[in-house]
Amino acid sequence: MIQNMLICRCEEVLLADIVASIENGAGTLKAIKMETRAGMGICQGRTCRMLLEQVMDFHTDINVQEANNLSYNNPVRPISLANLSRSGKDSEP
Amino acid sequence: MRINKHPILGKLDRKEICITYNGSDYQAYEGETIAAALLANHIRVLRYSEKGKKPRGIYCGIGHCYECRVTVDDERSVRACVTVVQDKMKIRSQGMYANEI
Amino acid sequence: MPMKYDLVIIGAGPAGMGAAIIAASHGASVALVDENPVPGGKLRGQVYKEPKANWWIGQEIARNMEKEIKQLGVTCFLEREVWAIYPKWKIMLNNGEQLESDYVVLATGAIEKPIPIPGWTTPGVMAIGAAQVMANIHRVKPGNRVAIIGIDALSLTIAYDLKMAGVDVVGIYLPPFNEFSLDKSNPLKMIAYLSSLSHLAPNPILKLLGKLGKQASVQKLGVNYYPPFGMRVWGIPLHLRKAVVQILGDELVEAIKVTTIDRSGELETKQEKRIPVDCVCISGGLYPLVELANVAGCAFVYVEDLGGHIPLYSDEMETTQSGIFVAGNSTGVEGAKVAMAQGELVGAIISNRLGLLKHGTELIKQAKEKVNVARKNAVIKFHPTIESGREKVLHLWNEKAVK
Repeated sequence: MIQNMLICRCEEVLLADIVASIENGAGTLKAIKMETRAGMGICQGRTCRMLLEQVMDFHTDINVQEANNLSYNNPVRPISLANLSRSGKDSEP
Repeated sequence: MRINKHPILGKLDRKEICITYNGSDYQAYEGETIAAALLANHIRVLRYSEKGKKPRGIYCGIGHCYECRVTVDDERSVRACVTVVQDKMKIRSQGMYANEI
Repeated sequence: MPMKYDLVIIGAGPAGMGAAIIAASHGASVALVDENPVPGGKLRGQVYKEPKANWWIGQEIARNMEKEIKQLGVTCFLEREVWAIYPKWKIMLNNGEQLESDYVVLATGAIEKPIPIPGWTTPGVMAIGAAQVMANIHRVKPGNRVAIIGIDALSLTIAYDLKMAGVDVVGIYLPPFNEFSLDKSNPLKMIAYLSSLSHLAPNPILKLLGKLGKQASVQKLGVNYYPPFGMRVWGIPLHLRKAVVQILGDELVEAIKVTTIDRSGELETKQEKRIPVDCVCISGGLYPLVELANVAGCAFVYVEDLGGHIPLYSDEMETTQSGIFVAGNSTGVEGAKVAMAQGELVGAIISNRLGLLKHGTELIKQAKEKVNVARKNAVIKFHPTIESGREKVLHLWNEKAVK
């Protein structure tokens, strides 16, 4: 039952998906994100980032402190394309 | 659901206004957020998720989680928890229909 | 066109407003940005009794600070989100506006850490802080029958808030053991935690539990003799031997499924019980919200006593990026009074850098002392070892400076 629990509420990623990605070799938060899309939704991982770190801590020998490579990307909050063009600055990749 | 009397914070004295949610009229108070006004009217489901079409409502209550996003007067994905109600505001839930714009 | 200010503050909670008031009162031009429609942040939700004093009503304090800000001519950018900070320093707002300043204060506060439990996305389940916002700020009950999952200073405080507001709090429960709850699911660890609560606790629940936790007999006997039916604290059943294993309901929360925890800490699945509720509040603790410090390029350190990853800061609250300062919960999770004092300190330091102070050194010294006093007198401690966490940061800063 717990495996069917949502971890990333935005992208609707299950605990089972995240554990599976680790078992398939995803060894970093970034790899998990790329494979499952967890943490890549509208809240930008604000809700599930800590949870992903905890899954890594629990299922691998990487601990919470190391799991966080603290890569946040601009824009850290959603911005419409219209307002982005108004601000005259592209979001960096 | 209103807490009209509070032992420390006292009585409520706020101006009533009217909002609509999915076409029905509801009473709200000036200055409160959309999330608070809808909850006071026993409305908890604010949208349905994109993939699983599962109901979602208020979660963090402070603008961090974006779970409570609704459509307000044709503007999509407005966070109900940090947006104040205005008289005659038209609020709609998101994700109910497949062909929704 | 960017709008230029002497100082841009992000976050209009107690820390941000504290900084704005001090800097503006010394003559700085200040912009204050917040995503909420009203300044005050989480301060607005606080209602508690001060030891030997009056009630601390956050809303009133926030309103007074807001008045002061307006009188001092601080420009407020409300209902704006900051989506990026570019050197040196451009603050990008989500409506297309751009602010520019040599000095930036990040006072973005903290965020709640969830504890996922099957069913936690169902409408009616919320983070515990949301329940406080609803009850104390908007005066709407988060539910008529509310279950709370997670035992900590915040959840016990809000349980009391809800009870005062006339909500039926059916119980405070543990989360089940999983990769997310860890120690928070362990009855013995929770008893040890309760003993760390301050004797100055501002409500009868915290006070009673603090006393209970400190009794050697309770700690020694631990869960063995903690009654499986729980005990009532100020009328609310506190369960240290029951966990909520599932939240039931499709469209709305209908009930919780509760399982007894046996003496060795294992779940007794045969002892499952369904308890009808219309709202569930999850409390997993707070951690600093630091994304803007990260995109601004500040160096980070991991300090568990402060709530996790935080931007490294000096004794002047400046990060490794010159001109970017931090204040309040984004530097470590503490109460509103500490946040306010930290904000005032940063306001004084930046005023001094701007050349606005005559007796800067003295003023800054006083402001630092005020932070220490606020910390020492804190009635609620989110992390019992906060002081050592603060020392650790300064030590790390000095180490870095030596390098």
